[in-house]
Amino acid sequence: MAEDAPKFAWSRRRRVPRRFDRTAAIVVKETRELLRDPVYLGLSFIIPLVMILLFGFGLSLDVKNLPLVFADHDRSPYSRDYIDGYVNSEYFNLIAIETDPATLERGLRSGQARVIIDIPPDFGRRIASGQPVSVGVTIDGSFPTRAGVINGYVAAVNGLYNQRLLREALGGDGAVLPVQMDLSVWYNPSLESKNTIVPGLLVLILMLFPAILGALLVVREKESGTIFNFYASPVRRGEIILGKLLPYLAVALIDYLLIFLLSLLVFQVRFVGSVLTLSLGALLYSVCTIGIGLLISILTRTQLAAMLVTFLATVTPAFNYSGFITPVGAMDRVGQLIAQFIPATHFMGVVRGSYLKGLGLDFYWPQLAALAAYTAVVYGLCWVFLKKRIG
Amino acid sequence: MWGRLGAMLIKEFRQLAGDLPILFILLWGFSGAVFIAGRAISMDINNYPVAVLDLSRSPESRELIARLREPWFKVVAHLQSDAELTAALDRGRTSLAVVIPPDFARRVRAGEGRFQVISDGTQSQMATLAGGYITQLAGDYSVELLEDQLGPADRLLANLPQVDARPRVEFNPNITSAWFSSLLEMLNMITMISMLLTAAAMVREKEHGTLEQLLVSPLRPAELFAAKVIPTVVVILLLSPLSLFGIVGGVFGTPLRGSVLFFYAVSVLYVVSVASLGIYIAMLARNLAQAMMMLFLILFPMLFLSGATTPPESMAPWMRYATLVSPMRYYIDFGYQVLFKGNGLAYVWHDILGMLVLGGLMFGFSVARFRRLLG
Repeated sequence: MAEDAPKFAWSRRRRVPRRFDRTAAIVVKETRELLRDPVYLGLSFIIPLVMILLFGFGLSLDVKNLPLVFADHDRSPYSRDYIDGYVNSEYFNLIAIETDPATLERGLRSGQARVIIDIPPDFGRRIASGQPVSVGVTIDGSFPTRAGVINGYVAAVNGLYNQRLLREALGGDGAVLPVQMDLSVWYNPSLESKNTIVPGLLVLILMLFPAILGALLVVREKESGTIFNFYASPVRRGEIILGKLLPYLAVALIDYLLIFLLSLLVFQVRFVGSVLTLSLGALLYSVCTIGIGLLISILTRTQLAAMLVTFLATVTPAFNYSGFITPVGAMDRVGQLIAQFIPATHFMGVVRGSYLKGLGLDFYWPQLAALAAYTAVVYGLCWVFLKKRIG
Repeated sequence: MWGRLGAMLIKEFRQLAGDLPILFILLWGFSGAVFIAGRAISMDINNYPVAVLDLSRSPESRELIARLREPWFKVVAHLQSDAELTAALDRGRTSLAVVIPPDFARRVRAGEGRFQVISDGTQSQMATLAGGYITQLAGDYSVELLEDQLGPADRLLANLPQVDARPRVEFNPNITSAWFSSLLEMLNMITMISMLLTAAAMVREKEHGTLEQLLVSPLRPAELFAAKVIPTVVVILLLSPLSLFGIVGGVFGTPLRGSVLFFYAVSVLYVVSVASLGIYIAMLARNLAQAMMMLFLILFPMLFLSGATTPPESMAPWMRYATLVSPMRYYIDFGYQVLFKGNGLAYVWHDILGMLVLGGLMFGFSVARFRRLLG
């Protein structure tokens, strides 16, 4: 420790070289470098803001106004009544009633029509005489999510029509179905998609950005050669890591505050939980994601490589497996395993809980503990791989 | 001209080939990353987790629970109390809870059975869809009960007017999401790599101070451009078939109905136009870190405006117009139409036109910017 170190002038002046002096020196150096490049620093605040505004306002998961074409071969009051059921729903946008097969085919191929419903010529006659009838529904499957949703919407509108037919057939007004369902929605009663998306974006942005900032920290010094200053100086590995972490943690936390304030003030996302739990989670999570970037930075040789690895290691897994859009419970075994290995999954639980469920620290300590453990492993690896020598 | 360009190209390819880590990363990007994105599940209701609190314990309630089955639902827990139900939803162990009251069987027989569904709204879109599916299940169960009461099914069916909507999904009969998401990841990867790789090659000259040397050399701006863009095009042409035939077509069995040659011909045009954008950014930035940040500022909106996550028809009108300036919007539409639907030039000419116009503009801007740098 300090006893073995050669006695330099400064150490004699202060007698006891305090452990945090060297860390503080690196913090000052990193902060100066950061402030010297206002474009870079500015962009590290602007991009998260652009992302949250653009995606928050624009990334609607609601599939609405689906272009629908009816091939009505019946053209009776019954078929028009059936079509009205679709026109009156907000999901569909009736663009044409068309019976020419070539035109229909072209519409589906070009994507101008996403769904075609074919009503047979005897539709009205069969309904009037109380017989079952089939309609053909052709869905454009090139975007499977959309196809699945269309399928669900068609089933729903068709089901409503059937219930009405049934009620009329079973004698006037009184008859009801023997099994009825009462649906209540918890946590997000109005089912607004902003309540899903904006908190989810907080998780994704705090995954990607701190990691990218961290990813350049060591590799940049390797490329410019200033890493040799560290090799030659008495600074220890832990001090390098801590000194580099702190200024960027400040950047990440400012990003967090900006997004948090925007989510409440601009998007007016429901927030019923504890700010403290959320902030504690955000702090741990940012330390963790900067650490992931640092680890990548230590393991790569060029900035481009560090950037690409960070991008590949964070964006795709976090978007697909963190439970942003699909619940983790709906994934298969391998998917759930991947989800457990991503810090975003654990933070997603805390974020959703804080915003929508109103649950606090006593409930989310396992998630926070998982994040802490993850962080410890990441920094442990950083410490092991950051060698203070050449090669 | 060919001599100068050739010499520069040899240098660029040597630099690229000497950077083994980058080559491995690119290889992963076009194989592993595409695979991971492909096997991720979709936004459709698949094995949606349901927990059941059955207070009735009757044949009727068991019949209802039996209907909550795959592929839509997966019963993950049989609960015993309200407290357990709250905990299961709070912890996110289940996304849907079905509560069947004690008098369910008696009331069903009386024709007025009710049960309760509690849905976790944190994932709004999934909750909406799941609600629709479970309504349909309850409706089907009702109809079958009615049939049982009113007589044999065949006789009754003949007397009940019902519309049977028979869905047929064109181009993707089983709605396999991997067909879509793996192809999307490949198109995303092509976009990202085209931009980043080209920009990095240009900024590197700036950072190392070798750009000045190139500027005083007999190399013309157009030649320098070509020398930076061509390696990117070659890398993408070499690596993307790996994901198209290996992962998208091979592992996931996506039918490639269209002309792959046509796809690649237009892809070259796209890569050149996106790479020009990368070069433009590289000339604005002072160092690689800045360039990367600026690229992300462009890349994220581009990925988002591509129409793959949010269909253009569901966007707000201003957003729909904004997509027109994103070259990726045309490329995604083109890619799916050609590879997936097997459409030809007659369907995609406007996409190609859009890419040509935007690509031409970006190329023009870059050259103009470069001339100013020289002057």
